[in-house]
Amino acid sequence: MGKLYDLLLQDIRFEEGLNACMNCGVCTAICPAAEFYKYDPREIVDTIQTKDEEKTEALLKSETIWYCGQCMSCKTRCPRGNTPALVIMALRTLSQKLGYFTDSEKGRQQFAIKRTVGENILKYGYCVPTYAVDPKMHPEQGPIWEHIFNNIDDVMDRLGGNLKKKGSGALREIHQKNLDELDKIFEVTGGYKLYGEIENYSEKKAGEMGLEFKKEGIDNEYFRHVYTCNSDNHGK
Amino acid sequence: MGKKVVVIGGGITGMEASVQLSALGYSVTVLEKESQLGGHLNDWTVLFPNLRKGNEIVSFLEHGLELQEVNVIYNSKISGIKKINKHYEIVLDNQKQIIADAILVATGFDLFDAHRKEEFGYGIYENVITSYDLEKIFAEKGEIKTPSGINPKRIGFIHCVGSRDEKVNNHYCSNVCCVTGVKQAMELKTLIPDAEIFNFYMDMRMFDTHFEELYLESQKKYGINFIRGRLSEANETIDKRIILKVEDTLTSRPLKMTVDLLVLLVGMEPSKGTKEIAKLLNLKMRESGFLKPEDDHTLSNVSNMPGVFFAGTCSGPMSIKYTFTDARAAVTKINCYLKEYELQHRILLN
Ligand SMILES: Cc1cc2nc3c(=O)[nH]c(=O)nc-3n(C[C@H](O)[C@H](O)[C@H](O)COP(=O)(O)OP(=O)(O)OC[C@H]3O[C@@H](n4cnc5c(N)ncnc54)[C@H](O)[C@@H]3O)c2cc1C
Ligand code: SF4
Ligand code: SF4
Ligand code: SF4
Repeated sequence: MGKLYDLLLQDIRFEEGLNACMNCGVCTAICPAAEFYKYDPREIVDTIQTKDEEKTEALLKSETIWYCGQCMSCKTRCPRGNTPALVIMALRTLSQKLGYFTDSEKGRQQFAIKRTVGENILKYGYCVPTYAVDPKMHPEQGPIWEHIFNNIDDVMDRLGGNLKKKGSGALREIHQKNLDELDKIFEVTGGYKLYGEIENYSEKKAGEMGLEFKKEGIDNEYFRHVYTCNSDNHGK
Repeated sequence: MGKKVVVIGGGITGMEASVQLSALGYSVTVLEKESQLGGHLNDWTVLFPNLRKGNEIVSFLEHGLELQEVNVIYNSKISGIKKINKHYEIVLDNQKQIIADAILVATGFDLFDAHRKEEFGYGIYENVITSYDLEKIFAEKGEIKTPSGINPKRIGFIHCVGSRDEKVNNHYCSNVCCVTGVKQAMELKTLIPDAEIFNFYMDMRMFDTHFEELYLESQKKYGINFIRGRLSEANETIDKRIILKVEDTLTSRPLKMTVDLLVLLVGMEPSKGTKEIAKLLNLKMRESGFLKPEDDHTLSNVSNMPGVFFAGTCSGPMSIKYTFTDARAAVTKINCYLKEYELQHRILLN
């Protein structure tokens, strides 16, 4: 048994996710990611159950493990009670812990996700609040979103939200007490530690790539690189 | 008068065992819950592996009943069984009591209810049928039409429906559905020569005499296609055709295919009758619910209750050939028991 396999076994999601795969292909057949990406959850599960150290390491460094959308459809159907998505989550976390994620384009995007969504949750209590989805960063959202973004107060008035205000309602300000609780959760569960690892390995990678890196914010070469780089080599 | 044996269930197992027991001089009563004998044999028109008619087996079994004296009680519902000293007293719904020195449980199997795999669309989409339904269509002998009334040009067979599936709590393999799928695909191809037929399987379990040859023939002579992948879900098109989502696992490609008719190869489950009798007699069951013998190698028909034996598909999936063999094997065990042969007390060293 490989060292990496031992590390995976320490993750409760892995233990829960992998019993024994009979390679039936149901997970891949139901998987939305497999329809578009060079991605096959069955193959991932099958590779991992060989316990082959080299192949596992290759997966941890690959683009493959980052294609899953974590929709959990695979859990509902597996005739062996496996959950490929949980196996993949465990692989992702291990890849983050060992720094292997910086070896792949999709993996390096972990840094961009941490600096945006990952910090939003701690700052605002929301991952994706309206005011954090800047059309300049998200041209894919199109002109309607741009209009909403620029006229958010009027839109909220009409739709009845309670944007950044005290009290109840959608998109209300989250009470400091609750933000403090989130802070504790990240402390206790190792969330902050993982964030730190993503930062450290990303900084190291930026150095290797000769790109400017800043300790904070999104205004630096490395962030722009991981955020925009697309080899366009992920599809079928 | 010889000792009395009561056989519960009058399928192949019960019919064959009862005539053999009668030939050995026992007084035999068969309790059958239906109004006819034969059990599931009555459901199959043409049999694997040699495509002979199911009727022929029925006539063979019936001939046995003509030659030997066997008392059959039809429509019988057992309400209680009591052990009194060395014999059993069986009480029927109509208060009739029957004494047995030995009991043979031959209560068989039930077909897996395909409604339970909701994602396959049985009972939701009209052109999804089971292997059992297809036999009924074969029995009508007319032109083959889908339930929507068209001549199917593309047909899919799904293996392992209700078997090898933790999601329906059936971990075991039903043994007979792979070869049934091959047999039915060949029959359909004969009736609709320009149809394209696809069997979706995980493993082709062609373990018995002539099974593998049948598989080969289905590919070579009949052009049946075999794709290694299990169905994830079925959907319906606006014209009531069925869309299948599978992975072709040998090329690692997700695949969508539209068929006119989808046939679900349903597996076996321990019958409701088997579970009822097991409860009345305190018989041990496996995790699957099939009856569990005292020893898997050496005591295959012997239950945990003295004088109670079992045979056939109440103990696990098996084809007709093995059902006959198992019924006859149980008869030798019952004979050993009633004659009090020393043989039955052989010990296993471990
Ligand atoms: C889809 C399918 C196709 C098949 N095709 C073939 C084939 O082509 N060739 C082949 O070799 N095999 C085939 N088989 C297998 C074959 O059907 C079985 O081997 C055979 O029917 C088993 O006989 P049995 O007597 O054990 O059980 P059953 O046929 O189930 O008979 C059990 C009998 O017991 C009765 N009973 C049940 N409970 C009670 C109770 N509590 N009290 C009184 N009576 C009771 C039932 O009414 C029934 O008559 C097929 C099986 C399936 C699922
Ligand atoms: S959770 Fe991931 S692997 Fe599972 S079906 Fe969704 S995208 Fe595919
Ligand atoms: S559905 Fe389950 S058994 Fe089938 S290939 Fe996927 S993980 Fe393996
Ligand atoms: S016999 Fe074939 S179809 Fe039936 S459960 Fe076994 S593998 Fe599946």
